[in-house]
Amino acid sequence: MRVGFIGLGVMGRPMALHLQRAGHELAVWARRPESIGDLPARVCATPAELGRCCEVVFTVITSSADVEAVALGREGLCEGMAAGSVLIDCSTIAPDTARQVGTRLAEKGIHMLDAPVSGGAQGAIDATLAIMVGGEAEVLERVRPLLNCLGKRIVHVGPNGAGQVAKACNQMIMVAAIEAAAEAMRLVTASGVDCAKVRQALAGGSAASRVLDVMGERMVRRDFSAGIEARLHHKDFGLVLEAARQSGVPVPLAAVVDQQLNALMAQGWGRDDTSSLLRVLEKL
Amino acid sequence: MKIGFIGLGIMGRPIALNLIKGGHQVTVWARRAESMQPLLDAGAKGAASPAEAARGNELVISMVADAPDVAEVMRGVASAGESGLVAVDMSTIAPAAARRIGEDLAAAGIDFIDAPVSGGEVGAIAGTLSIMAGGSDAAFAKAKPAFECMGKNIVHVGASGAGQVAKAANQIVTGMGVLAVAEAFAFAAKNGVDSAKVREALLGGFAYSKILENHGQRMLDRNFKPGFKSWMHEKDLNIVMQTAHELGLCLPGSAATAQMFNAMVGSGLGEEDSIAVLKLLESLSGQA
Repeated sequence: MRVGFIGLGVMGRPMALHLQRAGHELAVWARRPESIGDLPARVCATPAELGRCCEVVFTVITSSADVEAVALGREGLCEGMAAGSVLIDCSTIAPDTARQVGTRLAEKGIHMLDAPVSGGAQGAIDATLAIMVGGEAEVLERVRPLLNCLGKRIVHVGPNGAGQVAKACNQMIMVAAIEAAAEAMRLVTASGVDCAKVRQALAGGSAASRVLDVMGERMVRRDFSAGIEARLHHKDFGLVLEAARQSGVPVPLAAVVDQQLNALMAQGWGRDDTSSLLRVLEKL
Repeated sequence: MKIGFIGLGIMGRPIALNLIKGGHQVTVWARRAESMQPLLDAGAKGAASPAEAARGNELVISMVADAPDVAEVMRGVASAGESGLVAVDMSTIAPAAARRIGEDLAAAGIDFIDAPVSGGEVGAIAGTLSIMAGGSDAAFAKAKPAFECMGKNIVHVGASGAGQVAKAANQIVTGMGVLAVAEAFAFAAKNGVDSAKVREALLGGFAYSKILENHGQRMLDRNFKPGFKSWMHEKDLNIVMQTAHELGLCLPGSAATAQMFNAMVGSGLGEEDSIAVLKLLESLSGQA
């Protein structure tokens, strides 16, 4: 199948390569052509041109505005994609934007799935991403073989936007857990106890978690180089709080965690791992 | 002075009336024609558009709901081609949005002042609003006679956007202030102590504030009629939190307060006064 790909960053590039290795013909467009590098792919001049030559297009880009521009803007995908073709947006954006873009594309008969992922750069490289999908079930079934090249757990969450809701919840839980781990580590150190031992002890009990495992380890080693760039979690928390506000749902813990992320950004640690939340506590 | 006035809601109507009482020639425009009638009866001229409200005037003032509304009416004002005009917006919007609107107007040769107010409907009617202005000295000097018809405490805070920064700061203090008084009263009640007596005792000390005095009394009276609707306070705190997010500024108290107001809107208390946060506290602690 001819598959289009937009967004060749730390997540997108390994994902695109998996599709290519699985025997699909790859076409790409990039805002900065140098980011394409030596990727074996047909290079298109505009998203519209990419859309014209592909049955399925993936996007993995940063912000709601970027997705809107690439999908609906001038020379955007919707000017090129044929009726019946599918846009799979793996970016993390606002559920509202996902719904709006889906509706606009549907007017031209183009299908859209919001399919944000969790698992980080390592998950993208290992093709073990968790993929949370919003959109029509039969459209998902059509493209499931492609998603199987990228991830292990592919869940149809609900209609358009539902994938992004799931991703927002993923970020809420994950970053709150990082903050909890950081606070625990801070308390342990202040009490004159060895963090590594505590982490080891906790790993066997009810507080065990992937976050305590991975981020806790980074905190113990004081290795704050990325991992997951904290600025992306900060961006996602903007989406989480806006979604909560629109629904009139109070999220007191997420709101406080967002303030810790604001402090993290102010310290200039946005490109470090989110385990830097420990360093924010040490500043207080 | 010849003044155009745009937006005749709860706040805009009494402000425009005070300008007429102050001897200014006022031309009004509002989206709903019927809201213009009381002003026409008081001697104002009616305009058919924001552009017409600007044309031939030295000053044009807007008092509308939200940033997109301000941007829209100011686009109309700019289209009037009245260079040398001073445009004043008294709505509460994000500082960044005010700065953008100021830049757009500057391109049309129009000087812009953001001048949000505090004091509510009561202050607007009495002409005792607090006015926090951002913009150039020259533009502020030109608008000052108009401000003096509507407010008492008029402060030129700084450059474009500075008025909105001050208003956002005002909403931080009032939002947390209302929550603090409500929590103090819930604390007293749960301890079996009379909140009215606690208020009386506190008024003499360092916890004295206008909010403890006025809002506190209304809490005791269980008078939740707005006043200042809690959905509007929620909107203003959202401006605070979004600005903090963009700047990388840690505001834990404001964040917790914003979530309480978010919960008020979600649980159907949005149309009540912001002091209804007391009801939310009571229901959380089984005091309702």
